[in-house]
Amino acid sequence: MNLTTLHAKVLPSLLGGTSRHPIPGEVIHPSSSSSDGTLEMLSLMGQALRFERPATPESFIVEPEIKDERKIIADRLRRPLIRLLTSKNATEHPARALARAFDRLRLRPHPFDLPLIDAFVRSNAEKLGPTAQHWADRQKPEAETQSYFDPELLDESNWMQAALSRRVAYLEERRRDDANAARALVESTWAQEEADARFRLLQVFQTGLSMSDQSFLSTLDKDRAPRVRALAARFLARLGASSENPALAACLERIKQSQSGLLRKRTTLQIELPANVKDQAASRWILQTFADVSLGELAGAFKVTEKELIDAAAKSDPLLLALALIATNEHRLDVLELVVAKLPNAWELMFEAGLDTLGTMTGSERQRWEEIVVHPYRKDVPTTYSLWDWLHRITDTEAPASAMEIALHAKLLTKVPENERGSGPWVEMMAAICPASQRQELREQLNQFDQSQSVTPFALLDILDGMENDRTHV
Amino acid sequence: MSLTFERIEALAPDQASLAAARKLLKSSMWPTLAEGEGLVWGECQGSGATPYRVVINEADAGYKCTCPSRKFPCKHALALMWMRADGSTAFASVSVPDWVKDWLSRRRGTSNAASKAEDEAKSKTKPSIRLTEIHEARADADPKAEQRAAAARERNRLEREAAVMAGLEDLDTWLSDQVQHGMANFVAQTAQACRTIAQRLVDAKAPGLAGRLDALPTRLFTLPGPARPSAAIRELGQVHLISQAYRRTSELPALISADARQAVGWSVTREALLNDSDALRVDAKWRVFAVLSEAQPDRLRRVETWLWRQSVADGMPQYAVLIDFVPISTGAAVGGYLVGDQIEAELTFYCSTIPLRAQISTLKRGAEQTSDPLTLPDEGLSTSYAKYEHALAQLPWLGTIPLTFRAASVRRHGEQFYLYDDESGLSLPMHTSQANHASPLASLDRIDGIGLWNGYEFTLAWAQTQLGRWMRS
Repeated sequence: MNLTTLHAKVLPSLLGGTSRHPIPGEVIHPSSSSSDGTLEMLSLMGQALRFERPATPESFIVEPEIKDERKIIADRLRRPLIRLLTSKNATEHPARALARAFDRLRLRPHPFDLPLIDAFVRSNAEKLGPTAQHWADRQKPEAETQSYFDPELLDESNWMQAALSRRVAYLEERRRDDANAARALVESTWAQEEADARFRLLQVFQTGLSMSDQSFLSTLDKDRAPRVRALAARFLARLGASSENPALAACLERIKQSQSGLLRKRTTLQIELPANVKDQAASRWILQTFADVSLGELAGAFKVTEKELIDAAAKSDPLLLALALIATNEHRLDVLELVVAKLPNAWELMFEAGLDTLGTMTGSERQRWEEIVVHPYRKDVPTTYSLWDWLHRITDTEAPASAMEIALHAKLLTKVPENERGSGPWVEMMAAICPASQRQELREQLNQFDQSQSVTPFALLDILDGMENDRTHV
Repeated sequence: MSLTFERIEALAPDQASLAAARKLLKSSMWPTLAEGEGLVWGECQGSGATPYRVVINEADAGYKCTCPSRKFPCKHALALMWMRADGSTAFASVSVPDWVKDWLSRRRGTSNAASKAEDEAKSKTKPSIRLTEIHEARADADPKAEQRAAAARERNRLEREAAVMAGLEDLDTWLSDQVQHGMANFVAQTAQACRTIAQRLVDAKAPGLAGRLDALPTRLFTLPGPARPSAAIRELGQVHLISQAYRRTSELPALISADARQAVGWSVTREALLNDSDALRVDAKWRVFAVLSEAQPDRLRRVETWLWRQSVADGMPQYAVLIDFVPISTGAAVGGYLVGDQIEAELTFYCSTIPLRAQISTLKRGAEQTSDPLTLPDEGLSTSYAKYEHALAQLPWLGTIPLTFRAASVRRHGEQFYLYDDESGLSLPMHTSQANHASPLASLDRIDGIGLWNGYEFTLAWAQTQLGRWMRS
């Protein structure tokens, strides 16, 4: 009996049941009983099937070509990295710091490790290079995926294929060099963008805003997303190309102008909070109310310069807070510095206000921003974890050396509330924000704590050092 | 074996144990810390008046602690290993105390140190590792009692043979019923049908067949729906073959008879195997290329440590598997070895047509991690698969077997990954649980490696690629 006979005469009977489809008598060994013969056929058929080689699919999926120029992290760092990122007790600070380091040093995780650090890759794909982005996108429908290439190689022909944050960064740079060309790029893809992307791309217009942007901004008054319409209206108002900004009118309603001084009259400005806004909610109200107003508009409304505006607000902490928020929004760090000189607790107030983004600020701008807000605290460092945590989240960069120096000099870790001293969140955050030049000093301070609580920060510092000092590549 | 953090992490039953161990790293908590003859031991001050005694064998990461923890290894053993791996704690070099020798002699020793300790322990009264000594009653050998015991054993054996035969008769009836109703019908009610006959075979003292049938529904349901009826034919066909071979052991060659008896459920104890002078022994360097762990319905975890022979030994098995069973409740998920470890040992193989399962009879050099590549044969997947087919012809109920390959690639068709041999066009579907972990390999052109083929799915265990070594996690 051959395989063909088995398949043709025995298999159907075994599948359908021999009671309905008996195995033909001629294939069963004559000396076997009916029952024994059937079971022999079962074994024979089973064994024949075991010898059949697995079927090869007609075609296989062609994996996308990924142009990843980044170097792979050194082998010796792979295991500690996986251990750190999969540790149940670790806070998110180490992951943030590592993602930044990958981005800054143009390194990438080893491709074999991507499944093991899947959550980290998904959260930080944009900072980990094209291979990691491809991994993070692998469950997406093909239509939603993008080309995978090194974002350092972005140009006018491929910028629209990169991740949103890269596109924003690219446009920001283009706006500085050639604002009109950058606007043309945005206009070319505007119709295909989602609301969030439109808003973020439009934010870029803050850089190099000029009358030549007016025609494009005017077309946005019918945009489906209210925040896009509002932002466009704000830009137009700033250009003096639209009727009065409604947000500005709402702010001016709440600002009381007066004159002070005996010999020399000076303008004084103060915010009068609505009666239904309690003290605790005041800073949040300020954030919301002044979100769509520019420094230029405010100064113009009172017919003063920006500097005079700050001086006029000197006795009104709420108005100074509003100016600090507007200056942050407009990346006007020079103005922010002047405001913070009069409002030393701007850090705490902006935290209370719920400021949750520094927009499209570059890394160096973020560090400078942090320097400005931390500087007034050099003699009395705050020991509230949530303040530092917020600072780390909002800047999403390592601390500037001067800010870290303040924390280290004050021995911040030893001054935090006793029940938090040496705790994971504190030590991990300090390790995450610490610049390379100050890691040794931080290690010495960390050594004072129970080793069982400081293993993660030491591991993080070691990995960061390793990434910076020992790059390998394939 | 050098204790490393990776090994300690792998041995730890859970992260909480490691965290607890971390708190015991202060040497002030250890009144005694010492080393000698490949052993490390110490006394850890717990909450009670008496410190816990902990001992570790560095050769194979064996351990013992007197604490009452149900986790294995406990935090004390982990802490001692940790301190050893860390290297910053001083261990006094002293002679091995009696309680450590006692533990060593009680182990199912594989190392030279163990056998030496065993000899020493035999020559004198055993001081226990426990601080409170337990005196053991030692009965003098009685020839008559031994004769009675031997007769009882023989009577039990004959009774079991009869019970197995009766069970096989019931199995035939059951198989005939399934064939009459058809495999499509069998697949629809496989769980209940298999459970019933498995229980009957347990009663008939044929646990091997019972286990095979008990696991059948799970195996079928891991396959795609259309493949299940034909898989049922394959599986039930093997069951019938085992049943028939068992009945005819006297007519069959000794090796296949031994295979049939093992498949039915007659086990060979480790001691019996090691005392069998005819058993196949291979003295070589072995490399761990896979460690598989699977929870069984009987609350035991089956840990398979797959070894690849690195040194030359013509005509001898190229691979072996060590199988350990540990209670699930202990949380332990691995044996003493990690993938990548290299050991130098003499293995004794269980009697089989295709020698695969083995025990370490002598461990000459403990496990050490090395980054060296596996010395794979210079043959492609199709050649390796042909060897599998040859082995299958010799042992029709052959289970999982290693397959090596060179210049193969991982390809994807839909959600299914395949190991593909460009030269022959042979493609083996990869285990579905590996889809995530193995997907980075799909972007590589050619890989060498080794995996485990169970006749349905290929579990990739080890790959050597241009991006370095890939190992099954």
